[in-house]
This record gives sequence, C-alpha cells and structure tokens, in this order.
Amino acid sequence: MIEDIMNMLFNGTLTGSIYALIAMGYSLVYGVGGIMNLSHGAYFMLTGYLLLWMLDSPFLAGLHWLTVILALIMVTIIGGLTYLLLIKPLQDSHVAVVIVTFGLAFLLEQVIIISPSGTEVWSIGELRLFQGFTMILGYPVVHQYVFLIIMSMITVLLFALFINKSKLGKSIRAVSQDREAAELMGINANRILLYTVMISAFLAGLAAYLYLPGATLDGPAMGWGYLTNSFAVVILGGMGSLVGSVVGAFIIGYIISFTNVFVPYGPSWAHLVPIIVIVIVLIIRPQGLFGKKELR
Amino acid sequence: MKKIDQRDIKLFKKKIIKEKVNNFPSYFKSWVKTFTGSLTLFCLLILFVLPFFSRNESFTHVFLRQFSLAMIFSIFAASWDLLTGISGQISFGHAIFFGIAGYLCAYLIKYQNFASPIGISLAIVIGALGAVLFGLGIGVPCLRLKGPYLALGTLAMSLILLKLFLMGSLADWLFGSEGISALPSLSDDPVIEYFILFIFMIITFIILIQVSKSKFGTILKSIRDDEVGADASGINTTNYKIYAFMLSSLFAGLAGSFYALYIGAVNPTGNFGTVISFFAILMASLGGLSTISGAALGAFFFIFLEYGLIEIGGALQVQWGLVLDIGLYKYAIFALILILVIRFAEHGILRPLLEHLKDLWDVLLGR
Repeated sequence: MIEDIMNMLFNGTLTGSIYALIAMGYSLVYGVGGIMNLSHGAYFMLTGYLLLWMLDSPFLAGLHWLTVILALIMVTIIGGLTYLLLIKPLQDSHVAVVIVTFGLAFLLEQVIIISPSGTEVWSIGELRLFQGFTMILGYPVVHQYVFLIIMSMITVLLFALFINKSKLGKSIRAVSQDREAAELMGINANRILLYTVMISAFLAGLAAYLYLPGATLDGPAMGWGYLTNSFAVVILGGMGSLVGSVVGAFIIGYIISFTNVFVPYGPSWAHLVPIIVIVIVLIIRPQGLFGKKELR
Repeated sequence: MKKIDQRDIKLFKKKIIKEKVNNFPSYFKSWVKTFTGSLTLFCLLILFVLPFFSRNESFTHVFLRQFSLAMIFSIFAASWDLLTGISGQISFGHAIFFGIAGYLCAYLIKYQNFASPIGISLAIVIGALGAVLFGLGIGVPCLRLKGPYLALGTLAMSLILLKLFLMGSLADWLFGSEGISALPSLSDDPVIEYFILFIFMIITFIILIQVSKSKFGTILKSIRDDEVGADASGINTTNYKIYAFMLSSLFAGLAGSFYALYIGAVNPTGNFGTVISFFAILMASLGGLSTISGAALGAFFFIFLEYGLIEIGGALQVQWGLVLDIGLYKYAIFALILILVIRFAEHGILRPLLEHLKDLWDVLLGR
C-alpha cells in the first residue's frame, strides 16, 4: 500500500513537471499572439529523434553535451522557421494557422516514418546523466527522474523570473496585454512573437531531453499524445496563464498517476483523463482555474 | 389577428413550393444552360457511362473501385466542409464519426446476423445514426470551445478514441488492434457497388448544397462570419451549431459505413487514425473551403493522385529496378501539398481553376 502511494506521488510529480514545461510554452504562445500551434507536440517528438540520430553520427561520438546543445538549437530554429514561414503570413486567419500547423506536425511525423529509424521503439539511454535508483519506502526512485523534476522546477522559476524581470519578458507581457498599444510604444510585435514561438519550441525540446533518456522513443506518433495532454493542462489552468499551466500540469499529472495505480484497468482509463478533465472544466468553469473571464 | 397571419404565411409557403415543383423543368433547363450546371451534368454523365466501357476484370476490379473510393471520400469531405467551411466550426476529429459508424456497421453485420441485403442496408443506416448520436454527445460540450480550441478538442477526442480502441485490455469489447474483418461487400459485382455509391453521392450533394443555400445554411454562414451579430439578431447559435454537428456527422457516418464495407474490415488505425481526419481536411482545402462541390473535386483529384503515385512507383520499379515504396512517401507528399495550398492559395486550387475555365467559356461563347 505504502509503495502504491509512493508510486502515485512520484509518478504524478514526474508527469506534472514534464507537462509543466510543455504546456508553459504552449500557453505562452497562445497568450501573446492568440496562435494555436498544433506542431508543439511534434517539437517534443522531433527533439527525441534529433538526439537519437546525432548520437549515432560519428562526428559527435562521445560529445554528449554538444549533441544536446545542437539538438536544442535545431529545434529552436525549427520553431522560428515555423513562425516566419507559416504562421506569420497567415496570422489573420485562425483557421488557416490551425490547419497549417496541423499539416506541419503531420509532415514531421511522416518524415520520421520515412527516415531509417522508422516506427520502431528506440532508446537514448546513453544521455542519462544519473544511473540507477534508490529504494524509498519500497518504491524504486530513478535518479534521472529526480534530476528531471529538479531541472524542471529550476526552469519554471527561471522562466518566471525571465518573464517578470527581463526587458524581453516585459515586452512579451506588453504584447500579450495589448498588441496595438505595445506596437505604439515601439515594440516590434512580430519579432516578440518570433521569440515567443522559439522559446516555446526550446521548452518542448528541453522537456524531451530531460524525459526521453529515462524512457523510450515510442514511435513518431507520440507527439500527438503530448499535444492533447498539454491542451488539457492549458484548458484546466486557463488559456494564456503561466501559473495556471504549471498548476494544471501537476493536477493532471497526479490524476493520471492516481488512475494508473489505483483504478482497475488503470492504463486504459488514464488515456481518458485529459478528455474527462476538458469536458468537466468546460461545463463547470469554461475559463479555467486562472484564466481571464472571457474565452475567446 | 395572429392566427390569420400565420395561416397566410403557410399558404404563401405552400404556393412557393407548388411553383417550384411545377416549374422544375424550366428551372432545370436554365440551370443546365449555366456553366456550372452544364459542367456538373457533363461530369455526372461521364461517371454514369464509365462502367459500360469495359467488362475487363482489371478495369472493373481495380480502376472502377478507385472511383468508388473517391465517391465515399467525397461524401466524407463534403460533410467536413459543411461543418468547417459553411458553419465555421473547425473539426480535426472527423475520423470519430467515420470510425464509429464503420465499427457499428461492422459489429452488427458480423455479430448480430445483419448479413442479408436488407440487414446490411439497415446496418448502414444504424451506423450513420450512431455517428449522429456521437456528434450530439461530442457537440454539446465541445461547443463551449470556439475556433481553434474546437479543432484541438475534437482532435483530442479522436486521438483518445483511437487509443481506447487500440488498448489490449479493452479488446474483449472493442476488438483490439485487429478490429473486425471479413465483412461482406456492398455487392459482389463492383459495377453495382459503383452505382449504389454513385446514387448516394448524388443524393448527399443535392441535400448538402440545398442546405447550404437554404435559410438554414444562411444562418450557419452568419454564425461563421459574426457569431455575436448572429446571437444579437435572435438566432439561437448553440442550437444551430448542434444541428450542423448532427447533419455533418450523419453524412460522415454514412461515408464511414460505406468505407467499412468497401474495405471489408475495420481496424483502429484504418478507421480512427489522424490520417482520416487529415484526408477530409486535405480534400476540402484542395477543392476550396465552403463550397460543398469543391469537396468532390478535391476527393476525386486526391484519390487519383494517390493511385497515380502508386502506379508511378510500380512503373519505376519495373523500368529501372528502383525500389521506391510510395506507400511510405505519399503521406509526406500530401502533407506538403496541404501546407503549400493553405499557405499560398487559401481558397483552394481546383475551384479558381474552374473559374478561369468559366472565363474561357464565356469568351468562346462571345458573351
């Protein structure tokens, strides 16, 4: 019993810290530009495969740090390119942005299916910084995951500091509050949006680097699952609210791990958690926990 | 006073309907004389005489079946266009209705003794009605979401349904990743199957185009263009959105049932996959959004693009021994096409092409 509770608490914190990273960027992009970026899950998936490919390449043999930095830079650039080439020209039409980013996510998935890694399950365990586990109250606590949770906390704190204190963060907040007024004050809103999309892609990539070495690459379709779960997180926390997405991520993380551990046929029902959360939140409190009153 | 008013309106409506029925031949004549009318009639005539060209096995069993597939998908794409193009409710989970209807139809035929011809047609109808119920169930909570959120909400629903159907522990109830196979087809003769689908396609398009032109369609368009304005002018937008969801899911379900019988099997990835929703989006966008007929153009274009790519891959292999697995590359190519179409030609490529053709037609006739 005690190990079940331990299992639930640990896995809940783990899931929560991953989704906090993913959903924060996703929510930021929405809050600043009103852009729904459906390729956000694909960034997560792509980083995993970039790491996998670069680990195999002879040039980077043994240079794990360089591999990670290169993969994160690449995914950030891909995020920037998504904005410049696809989102920016279509900004005025929400339908077009949604369809085009959906198409991009689908394209990235297909490109990976075509690539030599195909649809098989891969492991990038070489990138684990910490090996082994410690038994705490009868449950094996994997060191890499503890590292993940701590890193995720630090990133969230740094990010909050960045948004609240730095000059760029202040301009991001200005654009999200009132785009026209911010432009009149001499802020280049398009550039701010570019930075925002790049930051969100970087955060998704970071989450992938922290989580995937301890787990496996479950095939190119895994990005969709992270996309829908982080959508549930953002709906629960409130659209465009950063505090909301962090709190929502942990709530959803604990609900999922609770379902996994204590409900019969748990793993099957755990897939239903996001949709049930979405439906309940929409019926009871459409603006989410920390959202603004109106749901645009 | 009020009673008389209503009776007058009823009489007036009856009069209009009578006039329309009496003058139908002349309406039809003037429609045929227009460019779209003559072109549509021409295409339908070609589709009608096509099966009589040859009784060759390879013609009827391969080439004609591609046409049948295109007809199924044109019904599906048109239903998506009604929901997204006409009423502005973006759905990325249209595979839900497609898959649910297919599964229901397959389950009834395989496990509930619906294998007779009447049973099969009943199963198709029940499948489509099941999709409508699902549309109602999904529509009610999802309509609190607007615009892009609805897109993600429906996408999430379809992904979760896909996962549930793939789940091993639920395999006793939902048939697991194997699905249900060895279903009877609509008819053993592909020509008869072709004509059944042909008739259903025509009926679907007549209904959907008439709906989009009627008062109901106008209300849906007003919701798409300005929801607050529509609300302010006394339209119950929620009700109309739910009607649009139900109508769309009815036809999507019809297409799903036909598809299950066409393939002869249902499985989670084939009937619920993101690919299916992606197909509908791609076809309707190729043809041009919010023009129901564009969906048919897109579907035919798309199916024959796929067929052509596979043929080219086969020819390459025979000619130069190049092993190119087109089945692997085709979705990437389609995704690229979708991105390029939306990025550079938001109104579709086939519809503007037709408009240019129309200009040419007018010049030729000296108008």
